[in-house]
Amino acid sequence: MSVELRFDPVELPPETQALRAEVRDFVAREMPRESWPNSDFNEGHSPEFSRKLGARGWIGMTWPKAYGGGERSFFERYVVTEELLAAGAPVSAHWIADRQSGPLLLRYGTEAQRRRYLPRIAAGECYFSIGMSEPDSGSDLASVRTRADRVDGGWLVNGAKIWTTDAHRNHHIIALVRTAPVGENRHAGLSQLLIDLDADGVTVRPIKNMAGGEDFNEVVFEDCLVPEEALIGEAGNGWAQVTSELGYERSGPERFLSAFRVFVEFVRHVGADPAPDAAALIGKLASHLMTLRKMSISVAGMLQGGRSPTVEAALVKSVGNDFEKLLPELVRLQTSALPSDHPLQRSLSQTLLHAPSFTIRGGTREILRGVIARGLGLR
Amino acid sequence: MESLIAQTAERIFADHVDKALLDRAEAPAAGAFPDALWRTVQDSGLHLVGRPDSGSELGDLFGLLKVAGRHALPMPLAEVLVANAVLPDVPDGAGFTTIAVDGVAPWARAANRVLDLDGALHVSFTVEPGANIAGEPRDSVHAGQTVAVAVPSELPLYMALSRTSLMSGALERTMEMSVSYAMERAQFGRPIAKFQAIQHNLALLAGEVAAAVRACDGAIEALGTNGADNQIAAAKARVGEAAGVVAEIAHQVHGAFGFTHEHSLHHYTRRLLAWRDEYGREHEWQERLGRRAAARGADQLWDFITRGQ
Ligand SMILES: Cc1cc2nc3c(=O)[nH]c(=O)nc-3n(C[C@H](O)[C@H](O)[C@H](O)COP(=O)(O)OP(=O)(O)OC[C@H]3O[C@@H](n4cnc5c(N)ncnc54)[C@H](O)[C@@H]3O)c2cc1C
Repeated sequence: MSVELRFDPVELPPETQALRAEVRDFVAREMPRESWPNSDFNEGHSPEFSRKLGARGWIGMTWPKAYGGGERSFFERYVVTEELLAAGAPVSAHWIADRQSGPLLLRYGTEAQRRRYLPRIAAGECYFSIGMSEPDSGSDLASVRTRADRVDGGWLVNGAKIWTTDAHRNHHIIALVRTAPVGENRHAGLSQLLIDLDADGVTVRPIKNMAGGEDFNEVVFEDCLVPEEALIGEAGNGWAQVTSELGYERSGPERFLSAFRVFVEFVRHVGADPAPDAAALIGKLASHLMTLRKMSISVAGMLQGGRSPTVEAALVKSVGNDFEKLLPELVRLQTSALPSDHPLQRSLSQTLLHAPSFTIRGGTREILRGVIARGLGLR
Repeated sequence: MESLIAQTAERIFADHVDKALLDRAEAPAAGAFPDALWRTVQDSGLHLVGRPDSGSELGDLFGLLKVAGRHALPMPLAEVLVANAVLPDVPDGAGFTTIAVDGVAPWARAANRVLDLDGALHVSFTVEPGANIAGEPRDSVHAGQTVAVAVPSELPLYMALSRTSLMSGALERTMEMSVSYAMERAQFGRPIAKFQAIQHNLALLAGEVAAAVRACDGAIEALGTNGADNQIAAAKARVGEAAGVVAEIAHQVHGAFGFTHEHSLHHYTRRLLAWRDEYGREHEWQERLGRRAAARGADQLWDFITRGQ
């Protein structure tokens, strides 16, 4: 028996070096002054910054030029995203549209949908939310109950989505809905609809999180009429469509960099000649990060090669999420209590209060372990 | 694609190394050197892999050690290969050179020469037998006649990478054994692999193995580049961490059978525990790496991570 979990050796191609320097230079100049650097992709929202990134061609980088993309490689996209996260730049406005909604439209959308949305996403001015979870459907996503019934001129949508990040400030939501009753195969009868968040019949209610932020929302649909052309892909093919994105969704640097600014502030705090244990902690965290980057770049290589590495992506997210949760804990134990406005304490508090979400959003730790176990042939 | 060298090694090691050979080679048994295996290795030329005139590279040497680790190879192949690579003037065919650190060398009892990390080459010496916790011979060496030879300053790094590579191979083997065992062993009327707790532990194990293998390969790829020392430091530390986690989970999955001498699991897990200590524990390499990162400063930390220097 052999267990095949391959992380091929992949080097970033040389052309990414100049690009990396460009992004660093750009961030140094354009990072909004009022924004506290935070490497969590969910934090930091700046449409102005997103538009500037779009103008540089750093959103939709891998898409065809015909749709506003840059026809650049997944490696180039990787470098841009990791540089932005490491710098703690405010990227949440366009993040989901760039990572997930755009590629979904590119793969399954109609020509009209692509022409209508992709160029504006790439310009950094059109933002999307993911409408998967519901109050009674979290990990068991196939159990969603929001329904869309065919009516004259389109679909009538009823139901509620929850935890919908940034629905209160994004333009569109791609909702997973039931378009046929549950039958023998519970994965059948699901479809994806692209719905305007300001449409009649859509109510968005912010939900405050434990850190005091208002990022996610409840989105309620009451007899919301959406046109025929809101359907993405085929009616009934929704399950295959949502699961096809997992390689993109789970393998990126946002799955292990969320706590990175704590690391930076720790290094600043202990200075150039740290005590042995502090130095060892820096080395430990560096060794983990260097390794996770290699794994994630390897997955970027698989995406570039047209593969869909679901299990490898789950491995990156699983190992990466554990790391980003461990980082603030270890740093905490190497420092004595600091005033709350100290830069290290500020990053630490922010990260500790968001850490519970790291192993929940985008597929929980337990669900990922199940995916990996399947990859090992155990189930 | 596996290299031809790795394929050849895989075939030879699979042919020769079995439980009986391992038991004979390990303390407290006699610690008997596997002569037939050594002759086959020499006949195949594997012992010269990585030597400058061999047509292979240092990277191949460490790739070969990953295969040796997969088989818990009961001979000092790491020392033989590295010594041959750094002392190309010692003629082949005159037995082998082992490498000592702090006066202790693997299999000095069967060696013809002992090289210290600082370049002292002992051509005659006496030996006091000893062993690491895997039962691998680690003999104390008392020097007789010594000559000074030129060794590259990277020698300690190569030795650290040798243990990293051996661990990487042993980790893969340990994962395979654990996954197979979970599918074969039945309790409560079904394979234990069907229990979610087992699946999750094995998923955790697989994550550690994947990270370790990638870290090790990354360090091997970096040989000869400017950042090689940091990549090796990171890999030795990261793989050492994985070794502890993986050995622990593997034993938990194997239950009491895995705790017996009769089962083969311990040939790999005890080596993991031994190799993570040899040539610098995790903490030591972490501190070295951390000092270099700290010297670059907070605002260059990310640059340090991405460039490895
Ligand atoms: C910050 C944040 C942002 C989010 N943004 C979005 C968004 O924009 N759009 C969106 O659609 N969703 C979003 N989500 C929702 C997220 O996808 C879900 O929270 C996640 O899928 C888990 O669902 P749940 O919270 O209902 O937990 P549950 O599924 O109820 O799980 C609760 C616990 O039970 C465990 N569990 C469940 N099933 C199993 C099983 N089979 N075996 C073992 N353990 C199991 C889980 O691992 C977890 O520990 C977001 C969540 C967070 C925290």
